Amino acid sequence: MDTILKFTSHHQGKDRVFRATQFACALSTYLLRTNTDRTKLLSTLKTLEANLNAGRKVFRLGNTINSIQAAKRSLQLSDRVLCLCLTAAHVNRALYFFCDNVLWAKSVGLIRDTNKVSWSTGASRCFLLTLIGSLARDIYVVLQLMVQRARDGHFRQKMIRHLNESPQVAEVIVPHLDAFLFLLLESLKSHPAVVLDTVKNFCDLFSPLDKLGIYPSNSGVVSLCGLVSSVIGIITYVNPSLSIKP
Amino acid sequence: MTVCLRVCPDRTAQYACTLLGYTLQKSGASTELRKTVSHLEAHMSLTRKLMRLGNSVEALEAAKRAIHLSDSVLRLCLTLGHLNKAMYFACDNVLWAGKTGLVSKLDQHKWSQRSFRYYLFALILNLTRDVYELRLLMESEARYRASKSPPSSSGSLPDEHLSSASAPGAVALPIVSFWLRRQLHLLVTVLYNNPPLLLDLLKNSCDIFIPLDRLGIYPTGSGFVGACGLTSSVLSILTMIHPWLKLKP
Repeated sequence: MDTILKFTSHHQGKDRVFRATQFACALSTYLLRTNTDRTKLLSTLKTLEANLNAGRKVFRLGNTINSIQAAKRSLQLSDRVLCLCLTAAHVNRALYFFCDNVLWAKSVGLIRDTNKVSWSTGASRCFLLTLIGSLARDIYVVLQLMVQRARDGHFRQKMIRHLNESPQVAEVIVPHLDAFLFLLLESLKSHPAVVLDTVKNFCDLFSPLDKLGIYPSNSGVVSLCGLVSSVIGIITYVNPSLSIKP
Repeated sequence: MTVCLRVCPDRTAQYACTLLGYTLQKSGASTELRKTVSHLEAHMSLTRKLMRLGNSVEALEAAKRAIHLSDSVLRLCLTLGHLNKAMYFACDNVLWAGKTGLVSKLDQHKWSQRSFRYYLFALILNLTRDVYELRLLMESEARYRASKSPPSSSGSLPDEHLSSASAPGAVALPIVSFWLRRQLHLLVTVLYNNPPLLLDLLKNSCDIFIPLDRLGIYPTGSGFVGACGLTSSVLSILTMIHPWLKLKP
């Protein structure tokens, strides 16, 4: 198992760069789609995107086991909510990679009689469930941080000072919203890892939502969100302190 | 060498496909199966080219580190070897750009030959380093044996052999064969006691057949190339699983 982990984590850095490049190509293709002078460039971008996509599928050929190992580790977490969210996310990720591997095998001709559409839909569903699990965990962590902050005496004084600074704000509803937002921003300021993970997962949502027809958007939006999430992925890889733990 | 070809199961799979393709061709398997295997091999080759994007930089960094080695022969072999590897990766990146359509009108054959030439030079330097290390170890083993055993039986031929021989030619042959046997015994002992060196030597010896075949210097056929590539990939996987088996520096 450790051997397989060593192999799968080896190309993680390159994979994130390739993912970013893939989405940059997709976004450029979308932006240039009406430009008739750039047909050759468009064709090059599409070929590059297809090659990167195909190559990355090979990188992912051991990630099912990687995700199962991560799910086993998350079962041992003491916090029940975190344990549930992360285990569900990792199990769904393992299923997503399995579907992805089957799609790769079909694309190279190793498997013939498979329904590409159903496996692709299955992969999108598993990916969506993974993201829901990850976002649930992000929201739980944010709420925990807010509760912790609210209990802090120093922070309470800061809050009172902030609310008193703007007396023209309406007294009934907006002060509560103002206080909530202030608490949220103060809690997140000192935890950039949580912010990055939340933004990343939120951006990633658009792709499966579009593929499954739940929230159809255009390829431009999907590509842009994919690019943003890939760039965040690169940042967290380069700077591991910005990666959310566990 | 510290910068190996970033071996992962893809290289193994690629050469397994080459060997399988050759076997299927010889055994007269269906064209569809052969097409699948050949498609898979091409896919793996292109994917490996994708994975090697950026390896030139790593090879240059390894060359920079090798310049500081104290032993001059090792310093020369490793620095030049890494530089050749960097050039090989650069040509490989150009080939990938050509295959994916990023660079149009690329002479694939010319760049492929170029990349194999650099690969061959790198392997020759690797093998030179292996032979040099082997030589050093054999000399130190011989010195150790000489110091351990008493001077009267320090490996010289028994006197009756020399006295019974009537002509100089008859004396020379047993001396040479005795010397050869002794050297062979030393070689086997040194390699047995140094698995990293043995593995590296085997790996480079297998790998050298690939560029020799592709450049037409010593054509061996796709079956033999596939078998050699597969063997060297398996040996590389062994060094990844057990890092102590990796030859250092």
